[in-house]
Amino acid sequence: MTKPSNLDRRLFLRQGVALTSALGVGAPLALQLATLSEAAAQSAPDYKAVVCLFMLGGNDAFNTVLPTDTDSWDAYQHTRGQTGGNIALLPAGTAPDTAAAASSPARYGGVRPITLGNAGGRGFAVHPLMNRTQSLVNSGRMSVLANVGPLIEPLTRVQYEQKARRQPARLFSHNDQQNIWQSFQPEGASRGWGGLMADAFASNNGNSMFTALSASGNSVWLSGRDVRQYQLGVQGATRIGNVWTNDNLRSALQRVVSAQAHGGHASMRHVMQKESGAIGQRSVVAESTLNGVLPPATDAAFGPDTRLAYTKVDGTSATNPVAQQLQVVARTIAARNGLGMRRQVFFVSLGGFDTHDSQNSRHADLMLRLDHALGYFNDMLQSLGMQDQVLTFTASEFGRSFTSNGDGTDHGWGGHQFVMGGGLTGGQLYGQMPTLVRRNTSNNSFDASTHQIASGVLIPTTSVDQLAYSVGRWMGVSDSHMMSVLPNLGNFNANTRQVFGA
Amino acid sequence: MKFHLIDCLSARTKHWAAAICAAVVAGCGGGGGGGGSESNSTAQAQDAEVTAYAQMMSVAPSSNDARRFLTQATFGPTDASAATVQQQGYRGWIDAQLALPANTGQHLTFFNARMAELRATNPTADRNSNFVIFSQWNSYLNNNDQLRQRMAFALSQIFVVSLADDCLNSQPQAVASYADMLTSQAFGSYRSLLESVARHPAMGCYLSHLKNRKEDLATGRQPDENFAREVMQLFSIGLHRLNTDGTPVRDGNGALIETYTSDDVKGLAKVFTGLSFNCTAFNSNCFWRGIDSPSATPPESIWTQPMRFYPAEHSTSEKRFLGITIPAGASNPDDSLRTALDTLANHPNVAPFISRQLIQRLVTSNPSPAYVQRVATTFKNSNGNLGEVAKAILLDREARVANYTSTSSGKLREPVLRLTALYRLAGAASQTGHFQISRWMQPTAHLGQVPYLSPSVFNFYRPGYVPPGTDIATQGLVAPEFQQLDESTLASYANFMQEAVDGGVGIYVAYPDNTNKPDVRPLYLSQTDTPLLAAAANSNAALVDHINERLMYGTMSEALRNTMLEELARITVSPTATPTQVLDAQRRKVRFALLLAAVSPDFLIQR
Repeated sequence: MTKPSNLDRRLFLRQGVALTSALGVGAPLALQLATLSEAAAQSAPDYKAVVCLFMLGGNDAFNTVLPTDTDSWDAYQHTRGQTGGNIALLPAGTAPDTAAAASSPARYGGVRPITLGNAGGRGFAVHPLMNRTQSLVNSGRMSVLANVGPLIEPLTRVQYEQKARRQPARLFSHNDQQNIWQSFQPEGASRGWGGLMADAFASNNGNSMFTALSASGNSVWLSGRDVRQYQLGVQGATRIGNVWTNDNLRSALQRVVSAQAHGGHASMRHVMQKESGAIGQRSVVAESTLNGVLPPATDAAFGPDTRLAYTKVDGTSATNPVAQQLQVVARTIAARNGLGMRRQVFFVSLGGFDTHDSQNSRHADLMLRLDHALGYFNDMLQSLGMQDQVLTFTASEFGRSFTSNGDGTDHGWGGHQFVMGGGLTGGQLYGQMPTLVRRNTSNNSFDASTHQIASGVLIPTTSVDQLAYSVGRWMGVSDSHMMSVLPNLGNFNANTRQVFGA
Repeated sequence: MKFHLIDCLSARTKHWAAAICAAVVAGCGGGGGGGGSESNSTAQAQDAEVTAYAQMMSVAPSSNDARRFLTQATFGPTDASAATVQQQGYRGWIDAQLALPANTGQHLTFFNARMAELRATNPTADRNSNFVIFSQWNSYLNNNDQLRQRMAFALSQIFVVSLADDCLNSQPQAVASYADMLTSQAFGSYRSLLESVARHPAMGCYLSHLKNRKEDLATGRQPDENFAREVMQLFSIGLHRLNTDGTPVRDGNGALIETYTSDDVKGLAKVFTGLSFNCTAFNSNCFWRGIDSPSATPPESIWTQPMRFYPAEHSTSEKRFLGITIPAGASNPDDSLRTALDTLANHPNVAPFISRQLIQRLVTSNPSPAYVQRVATTFKNSNGNLGEVAKAILLDREARVANYTSTSSGKLREPVLRLTALYRLAGAASQTGHFQISRWMQPTAHLGQVPYLSPSVFNFYRPGYVPPGTDIATQGLVAPEFQQLDESTLASYANFMQEAVDGGVGIYVAYPDNTNKPDVRPLYLSQTDTPLLAAAANSNAALVDHINERLMYGTMSEALRNTMLEELARITVSPTATPTQVLDAQRRKVRFALLLAAVSPDFLIQR
């Protein structure tokens, strides 16, 4: 399978953009860029991209996707609808009370019903403000992956309480669970499953540098053995020296930032100097390549800029930061042929989900942003005709407590996520949605449940490994490669590993 | 061995040298037992460091050494501060800094003064969180108590509160007060600082233990666990047990040993129930609103005075955490809080956990275990005195002896420290006097870091961050500040710096020449006789040398130097140029030389 040319590209990737060494220290940037363009000239008819939208802080999944079967709804209202701590959303069909305070669920009206296949006829709903999400699910563009999270092996409440089986490290810790979701290791990991899967196909990309892209800062998910992440600015690639017009001065600036002036970053001895130079080099080279092929944000598929704004609960509009990120992702996907890309992975994020307090108003605003961003991204992809070639999934380090702490919720574990596009049959329930149970008022536990532990927190019924495996299958990554990427996959029964896709 | 003893004897004229001699003897004795060649070479390297340290501490610091020290201890060396260090020595300078009285209330006073000006013309104007940020820049760039300010900045990245949070953005005076608290206690005891942090309404607002209510078995309401969890994970003991040298303790299987469980969080959360505003009564109005009235506007002071306990909202059930049990029915919430904070402060993890992070903020991302051990020992022996800890960090041989052959010592400068270093070198003036460097950022030209604007309680970057796919990762090192650095932010930083050297930074304000310009501008743009301009007037080489010494304490690479000289040579002045044209060319040279330096790997990595 591996061709000699792939080996060359692997080497190229492993060194970052080590064009300097290939072309000689003194080679001007323009010559290096010409080499990149040559690589980009390969056309790429077969294209797939995966987008991870990460909700930082731990999304309250209980108020995002709601099982509305009688038992679950009763347990939900009983647990969350208490006086002095009411964070229970209202039944479907309830009209919003526009006179109510933003801190009151009444302000938002009833939950929005969705119809999910493969759900045994159970009823489901989404947050009252998820207008677009409701229609994306009901029109078959989006599905729900229920109760997913980090697991070492299948685990029930009793097994958890008796410590009868292995559990992930550092549960309930934000930074560590973000890392575990992305890399199966706590903080300090240097490879994530998005990048490791991308290793398998980066050599088929004409421009390997753009294989794994973030629009929201450094993400370990995108780092593979060979693949390095490239950071997009929300307006595209930022040009170093965009203020001065003097070419000599800009060129000098770029040579110093990229350590070309020092003989190239690869020749630097200090590991941090080397790395700052390497980042500078990638910044300069990528900018020259990308800005020549990225379609303008004003094109009909993406613009006008007003589409980046969402309408807040109070009726005012505000720029949606994750919509900005998804816009540059869509522009990059639109440039796939110019860049010679066949497979790409993207990472975007939205912060603010750690709703320990003021949950009703804070979470409502976040649901508006998520809903707007998913809808906008779907619209852009449809304009590009790419909706079936791009698979988007949401993620979050953990779900939250089922119980209320007065006006918010605390750290949990499993949570529900959305899966959009990719040509999959939408409107499905992937994984298992546990039936929620009432708290046992005699011992304050949820001991009637197989998967709810203290504070009603959900133990995942689908592991991140299973989600990752399903994403990898969709991308066409071989099983043998995925076994090397997903450390816990072998602990799950072979016929349960794939939770969606063909 | 003999060599060291001779050095020690000859250096014994000063009392501190004797202590170092004792350390040398102990070190040599410990390392003398043989072992592999690797440990021998490590021991030799340590011996060399000890020798170099004793020698450098026995003479007045050189200009370069003084500036390197000030890069670690302040927001950047100035000619005046470097001269003071050369005169007083490192220890003398630190002692003088520790002795400076704390300017208590600087940030809140500044905030209130700006609000008063604003409301003089617009009585209903919202509180402006930018005023908190202006005041930080003002103190970083201009205060004389630089060590205190630098420590406060470091502490603000451990005990994080952020104006990015809605609650604090609407009550920015709480953050101004919190910054004052960190500043005034920057040399105080860790234990009192921990209590001030736990009781400050800014932290209560940020980590939601303000108005935290006890559990209610009838409704199933639980105490808010936010502060209880983060005070352990981030502010005191961390996630797993540490040796005094900061390395992890491992069990028989080599696994890390977690310091607390979910049950400990739940137990500790009860301690922080019942906290709310300082107020005139203990009733519901005071608890919820901070004033004994259902409708009156509460005083601003509720956001700047320590929170207090409302017994009716404080859990009286049994509280178990970290092996401690506060029995059910304990009637005094303050006693429970004292027990909890004592338990945390007395945990053996605190000294290495906090010491290592402070070393990372001031000196190096990857301190040796021995360095952490020495500082943590000072932490323990001084009962957590942060002034003593700062002194131990900065006077340590690993901080003082520059090892330019090391391929990993030092750290990536934080963006804030890059700008302050540049402006303290050049001198910077604020047209309004208020240093209005705002939080606003252009996507394609921004610094990348704003004080008190961290994205979360996990700071701008994590102390354990490993940049994926780099030699840094391969070598098992961490590089916290690299979490903020990528292809996009580095380009934006370069463009921001271009504006900073070219025209200044901050909010545009009216100048006497009827133009609008950024409020904060380097002096060489407005004056005609600054040291940078004088160097540029002298020669290109003199300008490069001036910047090399002042910004990089002499560490500039030949490659950067040559590039700067080549580029400066392009800026030519005709023999018939007018004085104005000559000055303009000098300014262009200064601007361009500073910019090339500011974006270079030589400067970005503080070694």
